[in-house]
Amino acid sequence: MRQKLTLLIVLMITPLLMAASSYNYSYWGEVIHSAPGMTFATYVDAEQLGVSLASPEDLVVYQDDIFMVDSGTHMLYVIDETFQLKDAKSSFNFTQSYLDAEDINQINPLTLNTPSGVDVTDSGIFIADTGNYRIVKLNHDFEVIDIFDYIEDDTFLAPRESATEGNEDKIYFEPKKITVDVTDRMYVIAKNVYEGILEINYDGSFNRYTGVNPIKLTPFEIFSRSLMTEEQLAQLQLFLPTEYTNASIDDRNFIYATSKVSENNAENPIQLINPKGVDVIKRNGYFPPMGDVQYIEGSNSYVIEGPSTLVDIASTKDGIYTVLDQKRSRLFTYDSEGNLLYIDGDEGKQVDKFSEGVAIGYFKDDLLVLDRKTKTIIVYRLTEFGAYVNEAIHYHNEGMFEEAAQVWKKVVKMNSNYEIAYNGIGKLLLRQEKFKEAMEYFKLGHDQYYYSKAYKEYRNAILKDNFGIIMGSIVFVSGTFIGLKIRSTYKKGGSILYED
Amino acid sequence: MKTKLKMFYQHYVRFPSYILFHPFDGYEEFKRYNQGKFRVAIVFILIYAYFQIFSYQNLGFLINNNNPLMLNSLQEIFSVFLLVFLFTVGNWSVTTLMEGKGSYREIFMVTGYSLFPLLFIGFPAVVLSNFLTLEEMALYQLSMFIAYFCAAWMLFMGILNIHQYGLFKTILAFIATFVSMSVMMFVGLLFFDLIQQIISFISSIYEEINLRY
Repeated sequence: MRQKLTLLIVLMITPLLMAASSYNYSYWGEVIHSAPGMTFATYVDAEQLGVSLASPEDLVVYQDDIFMVDSGTHMLYVIDETFQLKDAKSSFNFTQSYLDAEDINQINPLTLNTPSGVDVTDSGIFIADTGNYRIVKLNHDFEVIDIFDYIEDDTFLAPRESATEGNEDKIYFEPKKITVDVTDRMYVIAKNVYEGILEINYDGSFNRYTGVNPIKLTPFEIFSRSLMTEEQLAQLQLFLPTEYTNASIDDRNFIYATSKVSENNAENPIQLINPKGVDVIKRNGYFPPMGDVQYIEGSNSYVIEGPSTLVDIASTKDGIYTVLDQKRSRLFTYDSEGNLLYIDGDEGKQVDKFSEGVAIGYFKDDLLVLDRKTKTIIVYRLTEFGAYVNEAIHYHNEGMFEEAAQVWKKVVKMNSNYEIAYNGIGKLLLRQEKFKEAMEYFKLGHDQYYYSKAYKEYRNAILKDNFGIIMGSIVFVSGTFIGLKIRSTYKKGGSILYED
Repeated sequence: MKTKLKMFYQHYVRFPSYILFHPFDGYEEFKRYNQGKFRVAIVFILIYAYFQIFSYQNLGFLINNNNPLMLNSLQEIFSVFLLVFLFTVGNWSVTTLMEGKGSYREIFMVTGYSLFPLLFIGFPAVVLSNFLTLEEMALYQLSMFIAYFCAAWMLFMGILNIHQYGLFKTILAFIATFVSMSVMMFVGLLFFDLIQQIISFISSIYEEINLRY
């Protein structure tokens, strides 16, 4: 009886224990166990909202509301903070001012066609209306303020213009994702555009491409290409620059962008583009921010191969940002220095997992993950461990090293594998001039820069304290050596003054 | 005992450093008066293999990017031996065709002797790297650069002297040696790859037959 009971308990508990355990990467790139930083809190599906979703594409958090677009139902949904449906809009009336400005008397309300991106600011709602080749700008009463469908750039055809002779290379403007800064400047990722992120002014005029990645050829490639004929060059695989997958602007007007991994940017799929258009993301962690560090390459039928496919990025306080890996359904959270903080998320059909994440967004401290396949928003909440990590980083950013170290100590207690916590403690010890202890901590956290600083102080202190002994022994040893040499020279009958 | 120690000092320190600073006279004695000793070359190569392991483990924390758990002593030793073997065989086969006067034994000894500055500077430099900060690490880099430069110098002068070549012929011989080394590597890899395929072929035949009968 007792055996049977034990067996029953084991059978019941084992599946719970078999849930994927959290991991992280050590300094050496090994996969090590880690405490989970975020865990499933709740979920919102179409049934709860009382609507039918077909293929949700993008989600954005504005104040206390969640805005979501669906490319299957061609609708815009607004969800409030209690995860109740607030609005579901499929058609939008024009504002009178827009009709006046455009001098048209259109009465039919505007509808969307496969919208795939949305962003909301104080001045309105911006929808990337992909199927209609345009961006729609709404006010907060869901009335159309403006429509942007013509980009004055050689890449694009004018709306309703067909690709005739002379412009076969041109493409239609198909916006996929959009993010808008405080001055209503739009940053748009369009389909089949490799020049970068389109920067469009508030009035719809095209400004420039930003975040362009120049292609770097190795000297050997340049040499071999110079030898090839035109036909051979045409047969080569095209060297395309970064293809962006998503962008999200933060409150300082810096754009967090994710891109597809290609051969020439394997290590920078995540970028932080400053207003000048330069990638300024810090890569001071053990590895550059790129999702999974270790992965199998080469096709096989057993495991998912290749680097992470990052499809969305969301930033929160203190420069902490999370990226979504669609390929393995994982969430990677980094701090502003580029340290990998924690990896969460799990692939699966259960409510606490997702199988085709398309968008993420920070909703207060929670992280919302939009799953296209199950048409669900999964809410991830920080665990005690994750909250401590974020708190410590907050204190560190504020320069409160003492408080930060106290929190890092709690973190280490929960997860002694957590190497970056040791650096946080080490920094406090360095400030307290406990150099030897600081060195130990920096060694555990593999921070060579601060180790060097601590070691310098430590070594110089020892040298200073023992200067008399060290100098004395040097003088003594060399003096003895010279004395012995002189003695042996005299004994042999030689002279030290003249060389014989 | 004292004479033995003195001879040891003469063979292992004095004479190699004499060659380093007086390459022509040194290698003259090395070749003509049999001052170069085979056992010294072997000991130097062995110590160099140990040096590789030593520096893997004991290089200062600030510049040591080796995972201590990944140290494979046999691999380190083997890679040193392989390099020496490839170079000596490559050089011998090239210089035989180019009318070099040196024998295989002499090429081997020159290779061994030329490791002398690497050992003489390398060990103290690795120890020193433990007592340097990140800014002072240039000192270690410099000393290792000097060590490698001296080693290259000794090797170059040695090959020049034992084969009784001129400057350009020596350079040519070196280039040809590297070509022959890469050819040997290629043939070796090809050989192992084919062997592997044959083995897998035989094993799959065995498996098939085993399953059938």
